[in-house]
Amino acid sequence: MEQTRLAGLLLLLSFAVLILFFSNRAKQKRAPMLRPIAAFQTLKMLLARAVETGRTFHLSLGTGGITNRTTADTLAGLTMLDYVADQTAGAGVSPLVTTADPTVMLLAQGRLRQAHRPDNAGPAYTDARWLATEPAAYAAGVMGIMGAEEVEGNVMLGYFGDEYLLMGEFANLHKPGIATVAGASDPNVLPYVYATSPQGIWGEEMFAVGAYLSEKPTHIGSLLAQDTARWILGFFILIGVVFRLLGILG
Amino acid sequence: MTKVGRALTTTVAISVGVLVLLDLFLETPISFFLVLWASIVVAFALLPGLINLLRTHLEKIRSRQKGWLYSIVLIISFALTLVIGWSGPDSAGGRSVFEYVLYPLESTFFALLAFFMATAAYRAFRIKDFETFLMVAFAIIVLLGQVPAGFQLWPDLPLVKEWVLRVPALAGARGILLGVALGTIATGLRVLLGADRPYGDAEG
Repeated sequence: MEQTRLAGLLLLLSFAVLILFFSNRAKQKRAPMLRPIAAFQTLKMLLARAVETGRTFHLSLGTGGITNRTTADTLAGLTMLDYVADQTAGAGVSPLVTTADPTVMLLAQGRLRQAHRPDNAGPAYTDARWLATEPAAYAAGVMGIMGAEEVEGNVMLGYFGDEYLLMGEFANLHKPGIATVAGASDPNVLPYVYATSPQGIWGEEMFAVGAYLSEKPTHIGSLLAQDTARWILGFFILIGVVFRLLGILG
Repeated sequence: MTKVGRALTTTVAISVGVLVLLDLFLETPISFFLVLWASIVVAFALLPGLINLLRTHLEKIRSRQKGWLYSIVLIISFALTLVIGWSGPDSAGGRSVFEYVLYPLESTFFALLAFFMATAAYRAFRIKDFETFLMVAFAIIVLLGQVPAGFQLWPDLPLVKEWVLRVPALAGARGILLGVALGTIATGLRVLLGADRPYGDAEG
């Protein structure tokens, strides 16, 4: 095995050990406090309002799928769906979930079914909708829903390209009283999120949804492992910069 | 899902995940077949997707919900595309649908981005604090640095723009990408460790 591949494998194993270590600490309630993120507070408020008014709570899982490089973004959106479905199911309502990938639609239906069982599994099939695979067609579908339905909350979390701006700005123009909580990991899309969502979920914050909302120990553990790994990487980058400046590295 | 079903799906998912991951390091042919099977299964998911789409719009028409006329247009378009493209996407009819209907419509739709960008920028570029002041200042530098008027104002402006894009902006983007990469690894490992089960009951 090449040295770089071996190094990659060791890095992955170390990361897994870090996740297990911090998850164990989180289970024992020995994890540090997480800094507040405004977007998650806004989300809870939107959710409460939607439940109270009985109006539609729209959750877009983006244009990504689960069999390519967008998988992690889509899984972050599905983690958000877990929380939203659990919260709304208690009140007997269901979020309206839209996807651009039929496989993700099946997963979303599974989540809604799980949240509503055994009382009523009906919402799983009617409220998780596949719109279209093409990003433009998907955006048009979401804009149609935003225009036709009485939407009280709009959350967009998953993989998005340029089509995000069409949906985000449409929501701002047509539903000015409704805040949009959006998150993206692509640096090219983040300026659009900044312009349309007062409290955005930026980059890596997307992967903290489970830790902040559902407070699952493994999610808190993996968040702490990410932070630890980032400090270590940052330290090595800094050392590299200093060595380069001193002329030690080529 | 029953306990046995849960255990089975978890075992299959973790085993397949580990095999595909190990293939990156050991180069065995197993993962090629597993990924191929996954592609076939994913292609079949389009069928429930289409059923879901038709069911939603038929229900909209039946109950006369807002915008039900558009649902009729969708169903007619769906049926027409199915008939025209029956011989396959590479047939003359199938290609025509893509070349003369779908692509022009998509291009037109994406052309709206320019207007949406203008209204979004108008809102985003209002100076509220020092942070937004900095953002507006850099936006003006980058904007002027890209047009001939900027060069006329100050010949070094394009160079300043290049520096802004290549040093602070790129450093920020790399920082975001680093965090996203770590988040992606953590998400993948949670699935491999069985802590996240997107294919079944969500626990963790």
